[in-house]
Amino acid sequence: MMNGSVIAAIDFASLGDSLFLLVVFILLLLLVKHFAWGPVTKMMNDRANKINEDLDGAATSRAQAEKMAAQRQAELKNSKSEAIQIVNTAKVNGDKRRQEILDAAQSDADSVKAKARADAQRARTEALNSARQDVAQISVDIAEKLIGKELSVSDQKDLIDAYIKGLTSADETR
Amino acid sequence: MESKYQYLTFIGLRFNVANCLSILLTALLVFVFTFFLSRKLTMKPGKGQNVLEYLIDFTNGIVKSIMPGEEGKPFYFYIFVLFTFILFANVIGLFFQVKINGYTFTKSPTADPMVTMPLAMVTLLMSHYFSVQKFGLKGYLHNYVSPVSFLLPVNLIEEFTNFLTLSLRLYGNIYAGEVLIGLLVMVANSMGIVSVVVAAPMTMIWQGFSVFIGAIQAYVFSILSCVYFSRKLEREE
Repeated sequence: MMNGSVIAAIDFASLGDSLFLLVVFILLLLLVKHFAWGPVTKMMNDRANKINEDLDGAATSRAQAEKMAAQRQAELKNSKSEAIQIVNTAKVNGDKRRQEILDAAQSDADSVKAKARADAQRARTEALNSARQDVAQISVDIAEKLIGKELSVSDQKDLIDAYIKGLTSADETR
Repeated sequence: MESKYQYLTFIGLRFNVANCLSILLTALLVFVFTFFLSRKLTMKPGKGQNVLEYLIDFTNGIVKSIMPGEEGKPFYFYIFVLFTFILFANVIGLFFQVKINGYTFTKSPTADPMVTMPLAMVTLLMSHYFSVQKFGLKGYLHNYVSPVSFLLPVNLIEEFTNFLTLSLRLYGNIYAGEVLIGLLVMVANSMGIVSVVVAAPMTMIWQGFSVFIGAIQAYVFSILSCVYFSRKLEREE
């Protein structure tokens, strides 16, 4: 009885199924690896790498942006101080230039004034000299007209002496 | 309820036609499933790609829960295919039950010990292979006499019990589910319309529960495979 059931069990057990399963299962492993597992896991790895790279890239670009912002801030500060300096220099230059112009104008005016004074002086002396000559001439002419005759040498001498005497006395009285 | 099967004999080996057909069908379904979900792969995953990636993450998680780190890497792919195959094999018998002239042609292939045994054998052979690869033949053999030499018989027996428990647990669960469905169908056929009304909801409930059991058994088989791998990869000092 016992023997019979064991033999029956062996009889029903189909070893071919096991072999068939092994073959099919190994084939399935190969096919799934080639068509599904390989591409999908590759894509998953690619994605993981890409995410890592993106995160790293984001970190570096963020650091770069911060650096650039700081640089811009510093430049802005620099430019402000530079502008103040430029304005200051311009103001100083302007003051200097104004002073120069004023000085030049002053000296010009002085020289013009001096020249005018010298001219006036010269004109006055010239006028005085010519007036003196004229007076001498006119007085000689008047004297000729008044006397109306030829003066002898003696008369002339007397006259001149008298004149000189008069002059000296005039000088003395003056 | 006794199922009758057609047998083919080929070079001295007996083939159960129902088992072979179901194995083929299961493998085909797994392949078609993964094949069509892995078309049009993009950086931003579409619906199908998402499903497949979720499944891959899940099976990778099984391996990582036992073997975190690098040593689990070689098993990711095997556990993925193993889990998917056993899941499909467990569930297929609940929906496809083709009988022609009283002969069953499709059922759950895992409801037969001759199918679950080679699956367990593949796992255990792989664990031995990776153990030899890691420790060398000497280190591998040394693991049998460690921590103390008189544990050698226990260690040897353990290898066989591992094999038997792994394969027979799966077989028993799925076979019991199929038997119960067969019984419920018999109940439905026994007394006409009355028994159909009674048996139909019970069959539905049991089928739902069998899907659950099928998923659980696939998970258990995968996680125990990982446990055996990891045990063979660590040295007992």
